[in-house]
Amino acid sequence: MSCPRALENVRVVDFSWVRAGPWATRWLGAFGAEIIKIEWPENERGRLPSTTTPQNLEVDLNTSGNFNDTNVNKKSLSLNLRSAKGLEIVKRLIAISDIVIENFSSRVLQKWGLGYEELCKVKPDIVYVSMSGYGHTGRHHHYTTFGPVAQAVSGLTYLSGLPDKLPAGWGWSYMDDTGGMYGAMCALTGLYHRNMTGRGQHIDQAQMVSSVPLNGPALLDFTANGRGSRRPGYPPGNRAHWPGTPLVNSYRGPTVAPHNAYRTDPGGYNDWCVIVCHSDAEWERLVQVMGDPSWATSSKFATVTGRLQHQEELDDKIEAWSMTLGKYELTERCQAAGVRALPVQSSEDRVEHDPQLRHREMYLAMEHPALGRHKVQNAPFKLSATPVSNHLPSPLIGQHTREIVEGLLGYSHEELCAGFADGTFWPTKRARFPYMDEMLR
Amino acid sequence: MSDAPGADAESLPGPLAGLRILELADEKGQFCGKLLGDLGADVVKIEPPGGERNRYVGPFLDDIPHPERSLSFWYYNTSKRGITLNLETADGRQLFGRLAATSDVILETFRAGFLASLGLGYESLRKQNPRLIMCALTPFGQTGPWRDYASSDLLHMAAGGEMASCGYDEADLPNAPPIAPGGGNAWHIGSHFAYMAIMATLVYRTVAGQGQYIDASIHEACALTTEAAIANYIYRGEVLRRQTGRHHAPGPTPRTQFRAKDGTYVTALVAGRLNPGYVKDLANLLDNYGMAGDLKEPQYQDPTVIAANTSHIIDDLVANFIASLPAEEVYHAAQERGFTWGAVRAPEALLDDPHLHDRRFWKKVEHPELGRSFVYPGEAAIYNDSPWRISRRAPLIGEHNTKIFCDELGLSRGELSVLAENRVI
Repeated sequence: MSCPRALENVRVVDFSWVRAGPWATRWLGAFGAEIIKIEWPENERGRLPSTTTPQNLEVDLNTSGNFNDTNVNKKSLSLNLRSAKGLEIVKRLIAISDIVIENFSSRVLQKWGLGYEELCKVKPDIVYVSMSGYGHTGRHHHYTTFGPVAQAVSGLTYLSGLPDKLPAGWGWSYMDDTGGMYGAMCALTGLYHRNMTGRGQHIDQAQMVSSVPLNGPALLDFTANGRGSRRPGYPPGNRAHWPGTPLVNSYRGPTVAPHNAYRTDPGGYNDWCVIVCHSDAEWERLVQVMGDPSWATSSKFATVTGRLQHQEELDDKIEAWSMTLGKYELTERCQAAGVRALPVQSSEDRVEHDPQLRHREMYLAMEHPALGRHKVQNAPFKLSATPVSNHLPSPLIGQHTREIVEGLLGYSHEELCAGFADGTFWPTKRARFPYMDEMLR
Repeated sequence: MSDAPGADAESLPGPLAGLRILELADEKGQFCGKLLGDLGADVVKIEPPGGERNRYVGPFLDDIPHPERSLSFWYYNTSKRGITLNLETADGRQLFGRLAATSDVILETFRAGFLASLGLGYESLRKQNPRLIMCALTPFGQTGPWRDYASSDLLHMAAGGEMASCGYDEADLPNAPPIAPGGGNAWHIGSHFAYMAIMATLVYRTVAGQGQYIDASIHEACALTTEAAIANYIYRGEVLRRQTGRHHAPGPTPRTQFRAKDGTYVTALVAGRLNPGYVKDLANLLDNYGMAGDLKEPQYQDPTVIAANTSHIIDDLVANFIASLPAEEVYHAAQERGFTWGAVRAPEALLDDPHLHDRRFWKKVEHPELGRSFVYPGEAAIYNDSPWRISRRAPLIGEHNTKIFCDELGLSRGELSVLAENRVI
């Protein structure tokens, strides 16, 4: 590749697993940092269990589709950190690295002799990012999370759903995705600070804690106005306000109607479109798009307060119209007239039908040695001087062990072979993958 | 053992100290600007004369609508200074050019092509300042068939795929619509990615000395934020279905939300974890409250017995246990015994969370013009050598016009008055 990359010559030692940590380092890798993932098959979590292995392949450590998408742009070093030799090797690697990222439970790496204080001895300006559930300080630091629990405890789950129903919450580990964002943001911020001051630091990022600031306006409504979110009509589903309850902002923008999801033709599971009018002018344009039906020109819908008051009827009438159109056709008609509307898109819709994502090359195919050729998700931004790209498929477990141990760290080939024989680089009782035997030749 | 964040670190400058950011952002990018400001950058928010329209988004302090009382605006604009400037005037453009010449980053959320149409595109501005980084954060990016489409938080949650994954079990709510999670998270998601891109280009600038242009898309950012949904489709052709309060999945999965005695819910992921060790720990947890039922019987150390009684364990024993206690009590009792369970809290319950108090999470922010202070949520992460802090409340409209235009750019008070009279500021 001829263009330089933003994080060229930055090396990251990545002790992270499952989703949040690997999602963080995936992006540092996309910016061009060298990501060295430290793995051990006996306590690996992220490759297995796999629910995303293609139906025609056997589930093993190298065939998880989701692992592949989450771990592009990385190399893998398999290493037993619970051995003195493994510890010595990883410290040698950290001594020539810039960033350490880990998402073990609080203080686990400290117990293994890889805490921040200890690593400062081998690399004084290391940027050390811990991504745990509750953080390394605070009385509940030993509590554990995964996405849905962090989301529940922090208030995020509660903000999603229909009034008087169960919380609908988030249908995935939003805080693994977003925790990953914070991990990458902390690493980059710490790296910038190091480049400017020469000093590294420890950054204690916590999944549950990072969720809380995402509820800012709801929290200020409570601390400044004394109004909590447990109140009639809240959360208001897809609406900005639930009819028949006190008019209060719902923390996702202006209080307006229409503001909802509507069924579209042919009425399948994901045949829905959302329509929002932020002003009377936008409403009038929607009325035009609907063909000026007589109900819509009624004065009760002419004002925003009227539309909010008669929202049930408004939504029923809009849906009767939206059911006559496919979601993409409805979107095009509305947007051409300057009305805010977009389809509810499933994963299939995004990959196959979304013209914008296609134009922006969001999903480009990449070859993986075990999985074959599949589309991989790209970055949501284009950088003019240092283009971002996926340049490596996810590593097979231990794929780069020789390259790193001999090439980067300068151990001899005999030492590599000895490390495989004594269980430093692979459990002695576990069958080796063919590419490992290849390394030992 | 000292559990409190280092008190000595609190006097240090933030990690982004010394950076000057110009923020021309509405709801789409104001959170990104806040993150940069809370981490120490000098973020100058440039609003149109009279103030940015998000000052009119509620809720308002004491429910009195006023552009200086929007709690939403307050929250998303901490640690910024504020000036007003009309870019659609020649004077406004010239002043903006002077500010851009000495700034590090411009963050803008105008419709694609708008700044360039004013002669303020990146190629023009970089001539004065080759180190300048400009991040355009827009709904769909600067190119493509949807480039000029209008959007909103709800629209992004729909097209990005969030809604397709969130909602209800058929059994809980037949024919339920997909549900967009609340809280304005499309803007958070876009702002997180924009922050990341800005930081990567700033790091590159410390090495290469040059700035660059970032074209960031909120739609793409949202489309990236549904965990394994895309991988499930790409690798297995599966389109996942919505499940109440838990992960999307190809087919129905066991429930994970249980109603507690106080009417609120507990998230307890039990199914899929029911091995003999887990069942033993579960029996001990329940037995502390006299709710173990038959779970202590030795037959439950047999995986086949467990498998045959999964519904009994979850829908009788766990559900009854949780129904007998307040959600907070279940949460702490379970976590103290190693269960990854949590109470489904409303945000206001977080104010009483002792763990957050230990981390000094809540910040008192002074609003001197009101003679009051208010409690704000604080940092997502603790930086031990360069703290994240809210340095000031959101700016009042044009609060720093004199400071920035006169004291920093060298305009006279007379010139400032002329600019105000001509609606330039």
